[in-house]
Amino acid sequence: MKRRIAVLGLAAAALAFVAAGCGGGGSSSGVQGSSHTLTKGKKGGTITILSEGDIDHLDPGAAYYQFTYAITYVTQRPLLAYKPDSIQPTPDLAASMPTVSNGGKTVTVHIQHGIKFSPPVNREVTSADVKYAIERGFDAAVGNGYASAYFGVIQGAPTKIGNSVPNISGIATPDKYTIVFHLSKASGIFVAALQEPLTAPVPKDYAAKYDKGKSSSYGDHEVATGPYMVQNNAAGKITGYSPGKQIVLVRNPNWNPKTSWRPAYADKIVFKEGFDPTVATKQILSGQGDANGDFPPPAAQLKSITSNSSEKGQLEFTPTPGSRFVALNTQKAPFNNKYVRMAVAFILDRNAMRLTRGGPIDGKIATHFISPDFGKSGFDQAGGFGFDPFKTANNDSGDVGKAEAMLKKAGFKSGKYNGPQITQVADNTSPGSNTAAVVANSLQKIGFNVKTIPVQHSAMYTRFCGVPKNAPNICPNVGWISDFHEPQADLDANFNGKNILPANNVNWSQFNDPKINALMTKAETEINSEKRWQEWGQIDKLITSSAAAIPWIWENSPTLYSTRVTHGTELWNGGEPDVSFMSVK
Amino acid sequence: MPLLEIEDLHVSFKTIDGVVRAVEGVSLSLDARKTLGVVGESGSGKSVTAQTIIGLTRFPNATITGRVMFDGRDLVSMDADHLRAIRGARIAMIFQDPLSSLHPFFKVGHQIVEAIRTHEDVPRDIAKRRTIEALRSVGIPSPEERFDSYPHEMSGGMRQRAMIAMALALRPDILIADEPTTALDVTVQAQVLELIQALRDDFGTAVMLITHDLGVVAEMCDDVAVMYAGRVLEQAPREVLFDEPQHPYTWGLLQSIPRLDAPRTDRLSPIAGSPPSLINPPHGCKFNPRCPYTPPEALETEPPLAPAEPGHLVRCHLPVEERRRLWQSLRQEHPALR
Amino acid sequence: MGAYIVRRVLWAILLLLVVSFITFVIFDVFPSADPAAIRAGRNATPALVHQIRINLGLNKPFYTQFWIYLKGLVEHFNLGYSYYNSESVKSEIFSRLPATISLTIGGFIVWMLIGIPVGVVSAIRPRSIFDRVLMGGSLVAISAPVYFLGLVSLFLFAKGTGQLQWFGAAGSYVPISQNVGQWFNSLILPWVTLAAAFAAFYARMTRGNLIETMNEDYIRTARAKGLREAKVISKHGLRAALTPIVTMAGMDIGLLLGGAILTEIVFNVPGVGRYAYNAITNSDLPAIQGTVLFGAFFIVFANLVVDILYAFLDPRVTYG
Repeated sequence: MKRRIAVLGLAAAALAFVAAGCGGGGSSSGVQGSSHTLTKGKKGGTITILSEGDIDHLDPGAAYYQFTYAITYVTQRPLLAYKPDSIQPTPDLAASMPTVSNGGKTVTVHIQHGIKFSPPVNREVTSADVKYAIERGFDAAVGNGYASAYFGVIQGAPTKIGNSVPNISGIATPDKYTIVFHLSKASGIFVAALQEPLTAPVPKDYAAKYDKGKSSSYGDHEVATGPYMVQNNAAGKITGYSPGKQIVLVRNPNWNPKTSWRPAYADKIVFKEGFDPTVATKQILSGQGDANGDFPPPAAQLKSITSNSSEKGQLEFTPTPGSRFVALNTQKAPFNNKYVRMAVAFILDRNAMRLTRGGPIDGKIATHFISPDFGKSGFDQAGGFGFDPFKTANNDSGDVGKAEAMLKKAGFKSGKYNGPQITQVADNTSPGSNTAAVVANSLQKIGFNVKTIPVQHSAMYTRFCGVPKNAPNICPNVGWISDFHEPQADLDANFNGKNILPANNVNWSQFNDPKINALMTKAETEINSEKRWQEWGQIDKLITSSAAAIPWIWENSPTLYSTRVTHGTELWNGGEPDVSFMSVK
Repeated sequence: MPLLEIEDLHVSFKTIDGVVRAVEGVSLSLDARKTLGVVGESGSGKSVTAQTIIGLTRFPNATITGRVMFDGRDLVSMDADHLRAIRGARIAMIFQDPLSSLHPFFKVGHQIVEAIRTHEDVPRDIAKRRTIEALRSVGIPSPEERFDSYPHEMSGGMRQRAMIAMALALRPDILIADEPTTALDVTVQAQVLELIQALRDDFGTAVMLITHDLGVVAEMCDDVAVMYAGRVLEQAPREVLFDEPQHPYTWGLLQSIPRLDAPRTDRLSPIAGSPPSLINPPHGCKFNPRCPYTPPEALETEPPLAPAEPGHLVRCHLPVEERRRLWQSLRQEHPALR
Repeated sequence: MGAYIVRRVLWAILLLLVVSFITFVIFDVFPSADPAAIRAGRNATPALVHQIRINLGLNKPFYTQFWIYLKGLVEHFNLGYSYYNSESVKSEIFSRLPATISLTIGGFIVWMLIGIPVGVVSAIRPRSIFDRVLMGGSLVAISAPVYFLGLVSLFLFAKGTGQLQWFGAAGSYVPISQNVGQWFNSLILPWVTLAAAFAAFYARMTRGNLIETMNEDYIRTARAKGLREAKVISKHGLRAALTPIVTMAGMDIGLLLGGAILTEIVFNVPGVGRYAYNAITNSDLPAIQGTVLFGAFFIVFANLVVDILYAFLDPRVTYG
């Protein structure tokens, strides 16, 4: 359910949100449970969202976390946004979908007239405010995590990051309501990336003073464009946010409902933080809270809710865009040998691995990378549920014979690996530590002696698996949640050879296959979506078949609602509740 | 009629190891203005006897039988409230270690005031004045200042004087002094004993002096009882006991007195062996394992406490003449016993 | 006494210095997460991670970082800014102190009110049925995990989630300045839960100390004076038996003021303990450092207070 967390796992408990889902059959998305429904509501009342941890940043330029987005998207209006029941972006600040011209190198967006910033700014939003918002994403003081990845393609975007807001020549504002992006090359995902909160307007005249220095404090003074705003005082100072305690959203008096498709039923939304998940789940069931913000109800409670006919309807499941996988270090023996990797793919007991996270309730066993919720935008093209190159009997629980055949091809005549001991760096807490134990046990069946180094989840990423010189042979606890439903956002960072970085690396396999690199480079610039999804589908098949990493679960996130509210599950955002669509009954 | 009469007192305690028979049929009497010495090694039951008189051994695991007659009433069967009215007021007690016997967290004066006000409904200032007088009467210099001292701020002798002041502040009929000088150094010992004597003479208080030191007994007692394994082995007026002791145990005790006038070369002769177990005492005479003269019947039956002469009771199987002869020959061998 | 206090305070300062230094070293030596990478996000370029590393001062050797930290601390009482959300650690901790103090003091009162009487009652009749039941119960209370106890109490007695909806629910805490009634009601269950193990422990301590004290010679003296048994126990017995307990209570309060982590988590009391927990899970060194320093301060301070208090409680103790 968390973007950053899925990779970095800031909070142990937050990580668990992805952990316990429900489902495992039925619909094409692999999700079981009550279907997502949007019902018409009525104005007024207060909605309370309970969470365990805090958001990452209020500042729309720094926010990069699904739970934060539940607040960001109802207070800020990026150029594009999502209706809760869709995975395709819709114009929000923009008046219409962007137009792409010049072979994909020019993207033009018209923004709506009459959208005003909340007090104390109060003036109309112009294209310059969007330009400034994106430019400040390249200021280390703001610290945006994805600006370079998605907007670095804009002409003049800096590659060196300093503590100031650069002027980016490739963002033109020919008039107050038009913004034109000149790209250095065509980008297949640029339009999709315009839904990121970084495109939400920031008034330079007001914000510049807060953006000075090493750390921007605009978040503590931010103004809103959405239906809600974080409570503030007359000077603009945020008063509704106590980190780790609560966030209070009130109506933005300058929001004009005619410019927005958000119904914004409730008058006030309170995010109460710091709850133990078990207690918070119980409080939602009793109506003291209305939905879960950043944690999944613990597995035992999920099971009890799904088996209780009166409570079942309060629970919805949303697929997580992405997968968990076991990364094999392709730059080092023995996994620089494709057949040794394939032997691992055949022997891994993916069914037992899934059991360490709760079994079928957590999701379907992944057979390739692009997850079912992508549907026709990549999943189907990659072969859908039918593509499983390392299929083995008993629900993919591993096959010694098939694995040994691969090892023989790799030159191990006995069919058993007899090389030196190999190392994996794994979580030091469950469920990750249990998953790693299953990996080690599986590999032992074909002769591997696996040494496991247990460390804190975030240290596993930032000190070992994400630093190629420290990288072990196996990273069993990695995973990726796509920022949006474009396959490039799901595969490029993890498997493109050009993305192997000396630090903060997410190509954990250090996979660098020239043929596949070339295919990816081509697909990145494909602006025809049908063709693009087709190409990425093929790339998914090739990567999966190479066994550089072995995907093993497509997870679901549960969203639990109280009986006093209508539902608003965000399909595009891992099941976060969309508070602008929820209503007090 | 004696002031205090102990009749066939038995005290036993149930413990994890078994029943400890601490006192077995002790009978003693104390007259007004007199001093009774009770002598014995540790574990002989002398302290338990003394504490039982004022009910300090009434623990849940204790069984007490017999009678302790005081002022026409039996203290053993008396209820706790009546006994408490006597305790401290009419029968007072002082203990061996004055440091541990005074509460370390309360001022000495306060502890005495508390004793007075427990029994007499007097205002605080009067109780304080009486306390200061009591402190003065036991020879504590500048008692007004000492009133506010904590026990740890006083010397051992001063503390014992304070204890005596506390005991005597209410003019009791009886003072039970349980090893009052054992923890003190020799010069202070003498002063404290003199003090007790002087108070007895001045106030007419009867004293029951519990000690393991026959030297102390020799100085101030009128009558002496020698206890062993919870029993009285010999009882006599002081002169008789020191001149014509008849029990081999008493002889042993007398031999172990350090005598200032004895030649340096003459070693102390402590009694060989150790006190008997009170859970499984020896068969027959309880002293037989340590007795150099054990007659055969002493292994079988316990001798009764029988009069050897009027006022001289001895618990021994040896014939009286034999005992006299043995004592005379002992005296010959050990000049210290003369 | 004055010189003694000055000496102790100097030692305390040195101790706090050592504690913060050790925290820095641990963070530097052991494999914890890279705060710059966490702050930058998974999709960040090396250029951004690099600049953030510089901004957070993480590019400097750890002793330089420590020196900068110390300078800020000494000159401006500045505890730095969270790597995670850039908030001032000092103001975050101070804003959480009232909750932690409310929890600790209230819990303390509850555990003393329960623990001491139970211990005394047990000590008066050792090995009686009464004693066995109370001490057996206390063993259960000591061994029961706080988290479990907290959940049970919430599911039994809290508004909303409980079978009997008597007391404030998890997360219902409000500052005392805002609403005394709700403050009190929201803290009843946390107090009792926090106090359970302590009450049990203090009951056992009281019982043990009192039984030991009641065998002292001065208790015999008190009885020999003719004092009522109730007074012997309540005045002479407890005065000596409770002195070590009072000092222990001082230490425990100091410890808890550093944050009653589990209780704060399960009842969602916005105190220092929960802040510390989040800091650790976020590898947020300034926040960890701040909470460690605060916790250490309270412990050292409580130690000092207890030692001084001891001199008043036990006349035999003097400090030169």
